[in-house]
Amino acid sequence: MASLVVVQHKQPSSAVLPSSFSDFNGARLTASVQYKRKLWQPKGALHVTASSAKKILIMGGTRFIGVFLSRLLVKEGHQVTLFTRGKAPITQQLPGESEADFADFSSKILHLKGDRKDFEFVKSSLSAEGFDVVYDINGREALEVEPILDALPSLEQYIYCSSAGVYLKTDYLPHFEVDAVDPKSRHKGKLETESLLESRGVNYTSLRPVYIYGPLNYNPVEEWFFHRLKAGRPIPIPNSGIQVTQLGHVKDLARAFVQVLGNEKASKQIFNISGEKYVTFDGLAKACAKAAGFPEPEIIHFNPKEFDFGKKKPFPFRDQHFFTSIEKAKSLLGWKPEFDLVEGLADSYNLDFGRGTFRKEADFETDDIILGKSLVLQS
Amino acid sequence: MEMAINSSPKDLYLLQSETAGSHLTQDQETKNSMATLVTSSSSLVFSSHSSKLYSPSLSPLPRLSLSLFSQSLSSSLSISPSFLAQNPTVSRKSVSVSAFTVKASATGKKKVLIVNTNSGGHAVIGFYFAKELLGSGHEVTIFTVGEESSDKMKKPPFNRFSEIVSAGGATVWGDPADIGKVLEGKEFDVVLDNNGKDLDAVRPVADWAKSSGAKQFLFISSAGIYKPTDEPPHVEGELVKADAGHVGVEKYISEIFEIWSAFRPQYMIGSGNNKDCEEWFFDRIVRGRPVPIPGSGMQLTNIAHVRDLSSMLTLAVENPAAAGGNIFNCVSDRAVTLNGMAKLCAQAAGLPVEIVNYDPKAVGVDAKKAFPFRNMHFYAEPQAAKEILGWSGTTNLPEDLKERFNEYVKIGRDKKEIKFELDDKILESLKVPVAV
Repeated sequence: MASLVVVQHKQPSSAVLPSSFSDFNGARLTASVQYKRKLWQPKGALHVTASSAKKILIMGGTRFIGVFLSRLLVKEGHQVTLFTRGKAPITQQLPGESEADFADFSSKILHLKGDRKDFEFVKSSLSAEGFDVVYDINGREALEVEPILDALPSLEQYIYCSSAGVYLKTDYLPHFEVDAVDPKSRHKGKLETESLLESRGVNYTSLRPVYIYGPLNYNPVEEWFFHRLKAGRPIPIPNSGIQVTQLGHVKDLARAFVQVLGNEKASKQIFNISGEKYVTFDGLAKACAKAAGFPEPEIIHFNPKEFDFGKKKPFPFRDQHFFTSIEKAKSLLGWKPEFDLVEGLADSYNLDFGRGTFRKEADFETDDIILGKSLVLQS
Repeated sequence: MEMAINSSPKDLYLLQSETAGSHLTQDQETKNSMATLVTSSSSLVFSSHSSKLYSPSLSPLPRLSLSLFSQSLSSSLSISPSFLAQNPTVSRKSVSVSAFTVKASATGKKKVLIVNTNSGGHAVIGFYFAKELLGSGHEVTIFTVGEESSDKMKKPPFNRFSEIVSAGGATVWGDPADIGKVLEGKEFDVVLDNNGKDLDAVRPVADWAKSSGAKQFLFISSAGIYKPTDEPPHVEGELVKADAGHVGVEKYISEIFEIWSAFRPQYMIGSGNNKDCEEWFFDRIVRGRPVPIPGSGMQLTNIAHVRDLSSMLTLAVENPAAAGGNIFNCVSDRAVTLNGMAKLCAQAAGLPVEIVNYDPKAVGVDAKKAFPFRNMHFYAEPQAAKEILGWSGTTNLPEDLKERFNEYVKIGRDKKEIKFELDDKILESLKVPVAV
């Protein structure tokens, strides 16, 4: 039985990285990219930031979204605890983050070590601590959420990271929050969680991101393109290449998560959160090249039905149109994305892949299957 | 009432030759920041309606809340010195706007002139707009190009102009170049040009409107002027084709009118339409014929019910201060794929559909002749209308197409003899085995 241990994390002795690139506060990387606005405050919104410091629990927080979100919350003066199994380091210095900022963050962030699937532990540890707000960043199943709600009867707000993957596929887009959802989708656990939150009467807010990208992304979104661009390989794209998708920068998502905290307009509301513009698959390949300073790539369209890729996926996106309207968040919350696509991809490249870091090794097996057949057809 | 707008109209257009550092020009950003304030403050006023205000087309918004919103819009523009303090760049403009608005909300009824084309996809816009304005108590004159006795007037919507007359509207015919003679002595508050595609056609109307004292000029432009992009949707302020006739008109009216707006539509459906839209699909579906669609069929387009276009125009007339100086994509709030449109039409008809996608080049047909929609993504979103006018769309294609199909059958078009020469050519060639 794991005992309750809340640790104030000490600053690790990691190597200092040069912080010549953008810090997290939305400042731009290069002079050529135009500033949209310099203030954190959303333009024109009449939302009043919660003035009191909250005791916040983040389920997760050490991998991607939470890494950025926790920093914003700590900066706002909240007491933030990360609930994780402790497999990944509790804090890691972000590329571009100053020594001082990292030291400050590390000295303030708290850790509650445990397995969220150990429901008894979750209940006892959370009720012992008592939290005002829970950010559930890594929850997948409704069952995992129940013990949290049981442990915190006075919870002010439950903020959930859901997914636009819950929407039912359609020819009539974009997806709006009120649109039909697919109870059979891969993400039905997210749907069930949203329903649970609604039925429990708790003050919840659910955010539905589309494809998230940015430095530290563990999902091979931009990384998939960068590997091929770096290797000088053509980009194989299924079918027409005009499928339209939508990417949202992780920092914009983190800001949205902060925007809903204590915000009565977000009470019991669901919001799509992603980028302002959509993009075709072909366009995304070109945008990645542009952002990373590679020449325009050769794109090869292939018919997935003509190949057997085994268990591997030849392309990291759903082969369909998939994009949402972010209007509700823009108008109700006064939030809007700061990164446009090329800027955002450049931010990701300059702080991550471009420095030689990535999560998955390059794997061109499916590419070679496709290219092999194309070469045969041409000869 | 004079308004000191000092905007530089050239800045509103990002043209091919200019480098686009940001998607929005300073002026457009200013408007959007004003708009954002308006939107959020209005939703504060109607907090109990806030979730309704953002329901998209599938849960249609009752008309009542729409007009409530527009009233709150005109009153909320005059608030918030703190907003001005945060955003000094907008201070001059918003001060003059709010001063104007206090008066505008008191004026109410307008005298509106619609100069309407006598054919084509846009003809129906003037018809709906006239009826909506008349229903709201405004005075309307509709000036149709050409002669009342011409054959063109036997087609919809012209053959229904009695509906405009019985609602109290006036109808006249003539050559827009002679507008001064046709409408001698008449004065209007608002003039809409729903006719010209270039400055040659619109200039006489715009010049006469200006000289006869009209304060607000509206122009039906086209979303077709946007440059193709890899990042849909087209939003207002983006690159347009510099040589497009409509662009020349937009620039001209922005220079001579204080309160001008341009509306960029795409495709529309609605009873009284002068040009086929959904009928193209119905023609094939009811006859059990395959529906040949060029390309992958994944191309996105925007098909609105014309009542949405009319409501947007009406909001502009009733909120000139907000509308003035702005471009509005005059489209529904959703896109549909070309294949998807075929499926929706079939569903509306309660019939099966066989879609055949083809490569026009391989088959040897001109897609423009064979198919009524652009063979590419052609997808604009009505962002400015929502943010600036508080407009919301009510188009609901699945439902609207049912009503369209009912009329299609009622007028007997399902029984009409139609030749499908190009279709036959396409289907013929697809049966020919392709040489490897």
